[in-house]
Amino acid sequence: MRLPTDFSRARTGLLATALSASVLLFSCQEAGKDKAADTTAVDLNAPLTGTVTAELTDAPLVPKPLTYNTPKKVMVELEVIEKVMKISDDTEYTFWTFGGKVPGKFIRVRVGDLVDFTLKNAPDSKVVHNIDLHAVNGPGGGAEATNVAPGQSANFQFRVLQPGLFVYHCATGPVGMHIANGMYGLILVEPAEGLPKVDREFYLMQGDFYTKGKFEAQGLQPFDEEKAIKEQADYVLFNGRVRSTTGKNALQANVGENVRLFVGNGGPNLVSSFHAIGEIFDKVYMEGGSAVNHNVQTTLIPAGGSSVVEMSLQVPGVLNLVDHSIYRAFNKGAIAQIKVSGAENPAVFKRSK
Amino acid sequence: MENMKRFVWLILLLTASAGAFAQAGRAGAKPMHTVAKGVYEPFFRTAATLPVPVAAFRLDEYAVTNAEFIEFVKQNPAWRRSRVNRLFADKNYLLHWATDTTLAPANAPLLQAPVVSVSWFAAQAYAKWQGKRLPTVAEWELAGNGTPRHIRFHSLTDYILDWYKRPNPKVLPPVRSTYVNQYGLYDMHGLIWEWTFDFNSFVGSTDSRGNTTDEVQAFCAAGAVNVKDKTDYAGFMRYGYRGSLKGNFCIQNLGFRCAKSI
Amino acid sequence: MKQLPLLAAAFLLLAGCNPSPEETGKAAPGPSVAAAPAQPVSGLSSESVYQLPDTFQTQNRQPFLLPELAGKPTVLAMVFTNCGYACPRLTDDMKAIETKLAASAGQVNYALVSFDVARDTAEQLKRYATEKNLGNNWVLLHGSDEAVRTLSVLLNVPYEKTEDGNFSHANKIIVLDQNGVPRFHQEGLGTNPEATISQINALLR
Ligand SMILES: [Cu+2]
Repeated sequence: MRLPTDFSRARTGLLATALSASVLLFSCQEAGKDKAADTTAVDLNAPLTGTVTAELTDAPLVPKPLTYNTPKKVMVELEVIEKVMKISDDTEYTFWTFGGKVPGKFIRVRVGDLVDFTLKNAPDSKVVHNIDLHAVNGPGGGAEATNVAPGQSANFQFRVLQPGLFVYHCATGPVGMHIANGMYGLILVEPAEGLPKVDREFYLMQGDFYTKGKFEAQGLQPFDEEKAIKEQADYVLFNGRVRSTTGKNALQANVGENVRLFVGNGGPNLVSSFHAIGEIFDKVYMEGGSAVNHNVQTTLIPAGGSSVVEMSLQVPGVLNLVDHSIYRAFNKGAIAQIKVSGAENPAVFKRSK
Repeated sequence: MENMKRFVWLILLLTASAGAFAQAGRAGAKPMHTVAKGVYEPFFRTAATLPVPVAAFRLDEYAVTNAEFIEFVKQNPAWRRSRVNRLFADKNYLLHWATDTTLAPANAPLLQAPVVSVSWFAAQAYAKWQGKRLPTVAEWELAGNGTPRHIRFHSLTDYILDWYKRPNPKVLPPVRSTYVNQYGLYDMHGLIWEWTFDFNSFVGSTDSRGNTTDEVQAFCAAGAVNVKDKTDYAGFMRYGYRGSLKGNFCIQNLGFRCAKSI
Repeated sequence: MKQLPLLAAAFLLLAGCNPSPEETGKAAPGPSVAAAPAQPVSGLSSESVYQLPDTFQTQNRQPFLLPELAGKPTVLAMVFTNCGYACPRLTDDMKAIETKLAASAGQVNYALVSFDVARDTAEQLKRYATEKNLGNNWVLLHGSDEAVRTLSVLLNVPYEKTEDGNFSHANKIIVLDQNGVPRFHQEGLGTNPEATISQINALLR
């Protein structure tokens, strides 16, 4: 999370020191278990092996796994669009988006790639926007290079040095307001060897919303900064809308399949206690990094952070994915669903008559 | 019957005179109002950034309209869309006009709307042509802070923030369609963003460690993070907007009005 | 004739909408233009900042038009001489560039343009040039508020006058080609000038 405007070097410096200290601690703990993310693993002098245009997808879809295994120049272009959309069936909200939806487009690159990033701001935008990608090593995560007025665009390049699932967001002041309006998304940096193959991949991103009216009050509801400051969310949502991913919009999978969820949390305020009701996460790439935990019931996803969770589906039915801060799930919208189809598996679960 | 005739006459007269006055407005009789001397407190308060005293000045009652700007380009062909130098106005210059000097007939209502998609250089040239100048950031902010005369909304800050939250309207409303403030100035907020003379006066961090006030600014950024007051939000947005501009940018919701020293 | 009173009333109504004389700006539009020329000045590239029409004044009290810099590459910075920290260093950085380009002495212009319209008179600029030992290839320019602001907009050098009369400003050394088109800039203080020098050398080739 960067500061709204970026003349914050002194503080950033301190932060960087603190961060590197924790990295050191981490690598001691993790020695020999998992390969530590190491920025020196990328050979900056190695020639790029061509140029590709990144496939970008709207949630819940995820771009196809990458098929190349040498660093490339990857062209990414995102347009910021401010638009009124439904936040619930009878409620509208003026969303600020990366690409027209909340969350923003999913970007998928490989460690070692050189990303050529263009941020456009739609001509009919009201305000200025920028982008801070947590996958960037550089000033403001790109925010400084991309303060874009309506109708303009900005470009910068960054080398992807570390694998992981990273949040990106707008960092234009007031940052809270831009994030609260939906300005966030995920960029996945695949490790050099790629991720293990799974049957299905999905994209979910949680966010909290603050409106003048109460939960599901009808009509166009403006952003309420008082509530945002007090962290009193009216909505806690997956993919920017109540029931975005339930019922007929539920994610689809089959018994026996391995499913990977790329889950982000845009915030602006709330930390997610991400949980699948009636499943156990076989693997969790904790905080979207390289360390893998196994057999997890609920995983924390910080605001401005992420998690990659994998589960094998044993029985059919509807799997509810929730923020286990449970009032959020049942009163503020934080539920998504996977509809699992297939034959009953009484060896695993059997209802007694 | 006689009464009816009189009424029709009156209507005709009114319409004709209104036209005549609009004509006069175009010829330079645009009303200006005095903004009394005051103090402008920059949003980023630091040890080095003290409140700025602002001398009394005069400011246009409303933003420069398309009709007014048409007159300008007619008399100054170098500022026509087809002839302007890209250094001074980007490719979006007057993009909403049908030709060099006209709006499409369907866009007639826009004649009295603020001219937008004009560059800073074009605004400067217009002001000079009028014997005026662009207001400074300090002047503009002082004027913009004027209390609304008829409060139709909870507070000015809420009004501004609400405007930020709404998408741009499909058709830009005419000048004097929002609210008037204590100085008699219309639409200081809620219609468009406006150019200022020294819009590029906000020195941000892209200027690296060498910045003369870098250390200080690091602290004001900290202050900005701790905005306690919504007023700060509104100011913050204007700073951000100005900070993203370059002199030749032409943007759909960015126009201007002129000022004059006293 | 009966309509006369009505007519008068109509005008009164209108007068109500019309501003009172006190409130009316008196300036009629002048016959000619205006700030920057909207079209390329003949002989200059359309991207040339030398199209700025304003006249500056040199440290030797000579009137100076920017096109006088044309023909040679120019290294330019915007500074103010009362600056306690950044500007002297920025000037030193420019001198370092000059030293490294000693082989091309006389083929490159060095220009400083002052933000400080009030205090940086020709005399003050002369004093600064002497103090900093700036040679014949240097020109130090004083201009009007509007000319300096316009140049800063063209060159993307944000600056702000602070209440103590000093300036907070970006630190940029800008390389302009022979036509006055900005080709490169180095940012910050004490920046390694290698890239800047190779840019200038490319222009000299
Ligand atoms: Cu934004």
